Amino acid sequence: MAINAKDVEWVEETPMNFWEATYLPAVFDGLLTTGAHVANNRTVTEQYPEQQPKLPTHYRGVHRLNRDDKGRVKCVACMMCATACPAHCIEIVAQDAPKDDPHWADRDKFPKSFVIDELKCIYCGMCEEACPVDSIELTHIYDLVGLTRQEMMFDKEKLLSVFDQTKDSGIDPIRTHKGKLGHASDFTDLHTLGPATTVRADDRSAKAVSSGVISN
Amino acid sequence: MATVLVNDKSVEIGPSEKLNCIQAAQRAGVEIPSYCWHPEMSVVASCRMCLVEVGDKKPDGTIAMQPKLFPGCQTPVKDGTVIVSNSEKVKAAQKATLEYLLLNHPLDCPVCDQAGECGLQDYSYEFGRGYSRLQEPKNIKPDKDYIGDQITLFTDRCIMCTRCVRFTREISGTAELQVISRGTHEEIDIFPGDPCNNKLAGNVVDLCPVGALCSKDFLYEQRVWWLKTKNSVCPGCSTGCSITVDQNEDVLYRLKPRVNEQAQGHFMCDEGRFGWKYVQSEKRLKRPEQRANGQVVSRDWETIFPAIRNAIRDSLIRSPNKFAAVISPWATVEEAYLLATYAKKLSPHAKLAIGPVRVVGEDDLYPKDVHGKPEPKTKFTIRAEKCPNRRGVEAVMQQMQGSVIEFSSILEGVSRGEIEALYILGGDPEGWISDSDATKLDKLKLLVVQDLLESAASRKAHFVLPGAAWAEKDGTFVNHNGLAQAIHRGVRGPEEARPDGRILMELAEKKGMFHAPTLRKEIAGVVPALAALSVGELGELGVKLEQAAAVEKPQLQTV
Amino acid sequence: MQFINDFLSGQWNWIVGMLPEAAKPYAMPGLVIFIVLNVTLGACSYLILLERKLSAWMQDRLGPNRVGPMGLLQPVADMLKLLLKEDVIPGHVNKFLFVLAPGISVFTTFLAFAVVPFGPVPKGLTAGDGQFPFIIAPGIDLGVVFIFAIGSLAVYGIILGGWASNNKYSALGCLRASAQVVSYEIPLGMSVVGLALLCGTMSIEKILLFQAERGIYGWNIWYQPLACVIFFIAAMAEAQRLPFDLAECEQELIGGWHTEYSAMKWGLFFLAEYTHVITISFLTSILFFGGWHLPFIAETTSNYSGVWMVKVGVLLAKVSVFIVVIQMLRWTIPRFRFDQLMSLAWLCLIPLAMVNIVMVMVVKQFELNEWWLLPGSAAIFLAAGLMGTQSTKPFARRVAAPIETPGHGGHGHAHAH
Repeated sequence: MAINAKDVEWVEETPMNFWEATYLPAVFDGLLTTGAHVANNRTVTEQYPEQQPKLPTHYRGVHRLNRDDKGRVKCVACMMCATACPAHCIEIVAQDAPKDDPHWADRDKFPKSFVIDELKCIYCGMCEEACPVDSIELTHIYDLVGLTRQEMMFDKEKLLSVFDQTKDSGIDPIRTHKGKLGHASDFTDLHTLGPATTVRADDRSAKAVSSGVISN
Repeated sequence: MATVLVNDKSVEIGPSEKLNCIQAAQRAGVEIPSYCWHPEMSVVASCRMCLVEVGDKKPDGTIAMQPKLFPGCQTPVKDGTVIVSNSEKVKAAQKATLEYLLLNHPLDCPVCDQAGECGLQDYSYEFGRGYSRLQEPKNIKPDKDYIGDQITLFTDRCIMCTRCVRFTREISGTAELQVISRGTHEEIDIFPGDPCNNKLAGNVVDLCPVGALCSKDFLYEQRVWWLKTKNSVCPGCSTGCSITVDQNEDVLYRLKPRVNEQAQGHFMCDEGRFGWKYVQSEKRLKRPEQRANGQVVSRDWETIFPAIRNAIRDSLIRSPNKFAAVISPWATVEEAYLLATYAKKLSPHAKLAIGPVRVVGEDDLYPKDVHGKPEPKTKFTIRAEKCPNRRGVEAVMQQMQGSVIEFSSILEGVSRGEIEALYILGGDPEGWISDSDATKLDKLKLLVVQDLLESAASRKAHFVLPGAAWAEKDGTFVNHNGLAQAIHRGVRGPEEARPDGRILMELAEKKGMFHAPTLRKEIAGVVPALAALSVGELGELGVKLEQAAAVEKPQLQTV
Repeated sequence: MQFINDFLSGQWNWIVGMLPEAAKPYAMPGLVIFIVLNVTLGACSYLILLERKLSAWMQDRLGPNRVGPMGLLQPVADMLKLLLKEDVIPGHVNKFLFVLAPGISVFTTFLAFAVVPFGPVPKGLTAGDGQFPFIIAPGIDLGVVFIFAIGSLAVYGIILGGWASNNKYSALGCLRASAQVVSYEIPLGMSVVGLALLCGTMSIEKILLFQAERGIYGWNIWYQPLACVIFFIAAMAEAQRLPFDLAECEQELIGGWHTEYSAMKWGLFFLAEYTHVITISFLTSILFFGGWHLPFIAETTSNYSGVWMVKVGVLLAKVSVFIVVIQMLRWTIPRFRFDQLMSLAWLCLIPLAMVNIVMVMVVKQFELNEWWLLPGSAAIFLAAGLMGTQSTKPFARRVAAPIETPGHGGHGHAHAH
């Protein structure tokens, strides 16, 4: 469809002054700028393998699956992450927790398999946001390489091992504050200002009068 | 005529109708939330979710409202009744009720299977307060894993609407479920040693507005918002329950009943609800096969169609009167019509027979009394005739050859050498032919079997065509009562299997693609008994065959 | 000692002396060609390194620094890579022309070098002499014309490459390139006409000598500053260097005419471009900046031992300056739009060059002092700038908004009258 003439906004070129019209001063001006950069001898390049980058705290790298205080996978297989995932890279098969096993007594459901295709993933962090139990988190691991596609399908064990590897690294603290699914009644302390999530102090969730209640 | 005012909107109620406030409001397009009320069951008014303001409009035009709120489910309407469901008072009551229901309800929606189709979630979102003021810990009761073979109970999620209890008492009549303890300690439970295993037990899962009663079969299989739903008809018996087929990524996950008063009402039986697993069976026929001398010659659809046509033509040239086609009562009306017209076109002397009609025991009527005998007023029937479309197939046959031939007489005809070529359109998920019957088929010079599962006949066939299960095809089933309902394709068949209608269209070289509504119109023109199909799209509730009586008692004929 | 003296004086008779009589006339030209080819090729690869380093420094980066000390072996690695890479010839191309095109590009750019003196060309050269000529083809009177003739042939390689690739981006790129080269040849040629008039010759060696004999104030830059600017701009456009590389602008045309080229065939195109840059820089410094001439150190009268080395050094230093300027311009100025490119040639450079020629003619005809040319050039330049500020000027090609007439917008008004 052609553009309607009425929708076109005409902008006049700003008239040039004399020195602009001769062009050459502008060229020399540009050369001066680039020349100054050549001369200033300041380099921002990071010499990568020798010099590791200092990543911002909100960097989103490889995923991990957190463990709860009993060392079990914290994930409850609710599949919120798979639902939120825009790349459809998360495949979860759920299973009901073995009820007779005291180790699992307080849990209803857990992931039998949990596979993230790290190649499909776009590292948007939606899964992390969707997770109701703070189980899936994105770490600062950025140098993810593999020789086969299969290698890049991270299963539950691998994701848990990423947790074991990163939890004490300092840069990827366990951001969660609850070890289990919350009940509305014990929604008493809402720590929104974690070390790696930066909620501004004037954010309304941080200003809530009583925790869990957001007033307008 | 009675006039009822719902939120200042007037609704007409028929003279003989007995409606409560919820139903009257429904007619006005107003939703009054409710948990414990169900149109098929008695009213207990225990959930208090449907509290509304009720008043009376006097003949002089003044309106007198009752001072307190009334449960809408328990309040019948009459001429001049005024219902207000959107006042501040009602909204406050709804908020309070929901906050109360959520006092002990755990917020474990992420692990709860009901999340996404949960009454508590939906109403909390629409009518609720958004937060709880409870400071004390929640009352958590232990889960009961064994309520029945198919049912598990998450006790802490229960909101005590007692729909399940009333169902077992009033609809199934088996009364396995009960409420134990009182007050905060109330729980749903079974009597010791008497699990809820009646044939309608699965319905309590559907009835449960929250995630307390869950189906073990579907538990944690899928999140419900991923499921894609198609309307269909249960093929389990000739009742023809209206159902929905829930699938995701071509995997069937569950069946749920949908309301159709003409078919079955609100419910469905467990045989149908859990009996569809053969759709995913390993024994499904997956690839077409052409066999000669026990060896597979071809597995390619493109070469098999001409080969079948040639084989049938050769056999007709050899012996024109010795061709027969068997149409299973699991086939749709469209498939029966396609195969019947094809066979009659090939040879006017071709015999059409209906496949074995499986009848198991007697019709199972609910509710039952304490002795297990059916009560006089029947609310649900599981029929003995286990095929969904006998009447539809018979109506087609009656039109095409004036009579319906039984499968047994075809077998006899084969053993007498009167039939040399046989085309069997199967579909019965259980073994429809015994090994001894199958040996009779050895005499055939040509046997084409189009079926769902491997059988004694398919192993002997010269041509095997993998057909589709009912959830994998479009078509029409006519139930015991002459109600024609449409089934819709929900999932794709395994590997090379194709919808039977398509196979028959391609075999008969009929022009166009298989499209059930178009074909229905054609059938309506050819078969007067099925003239009701002329509407094409049968809608959600199906169409009653007007001339159903004409094929009520088919005249049986022997060969 | 004799050997060193010979070497320093540029009398390389010992080389000629070693050869049989029949080969003697070819000795010196052969040697020069050998030196020019190899030095140019080597220079090209290191110019690429220089450019990468320069651009890196401008953008506060490091540039190539992994191969060899400070990345000095990077050109070697690059060249090895280009040689060893799989040389893809797509199935849909015209194979013969596809292979021929890069060859033509390189061939023409090197051929242009034949008349460019890269040192003090001795007078009175004779064939078979031991004198080192410092030019491949000495004594060509139409050197400038030769360069332009060959230079315009270079577009042939581009058109062939683009057309043979059978790819729409290549085709668009080569069409743009040909339009551009054809347009910029005119100001390029016209800017040198003034020089020819001034110096009375078209031979590049003689133009150089003409300046050198008159000392620092004899450099043509004093008399033809405007022509110098026009020449430099037009030459850059001829070489398809940024800001004039519309034929291969990545954002629009992927790789332009060399989209389908890979490995060493692509490398040849690249080589041609850099050779072109070297030629431009040589020509600019020779035509306008006195070539090897530098006051007190490298005069025509300088006669110390090894003076030719100093002169070559001076020339190369001037050339290097221009190369660096060209490379810096590339990373400083954004690319032109195609209509801007065309209007720059046709509306600005060509009229200016024309006026410049007329000015030189006037000065020569009326035998005015040649120094009038300096303020004259400045006046022309400033007048052009002044005209640029006037948006109402008759040759302004500015798109204007359609004039809104009353009653045009609404339907109701038409019938009102």
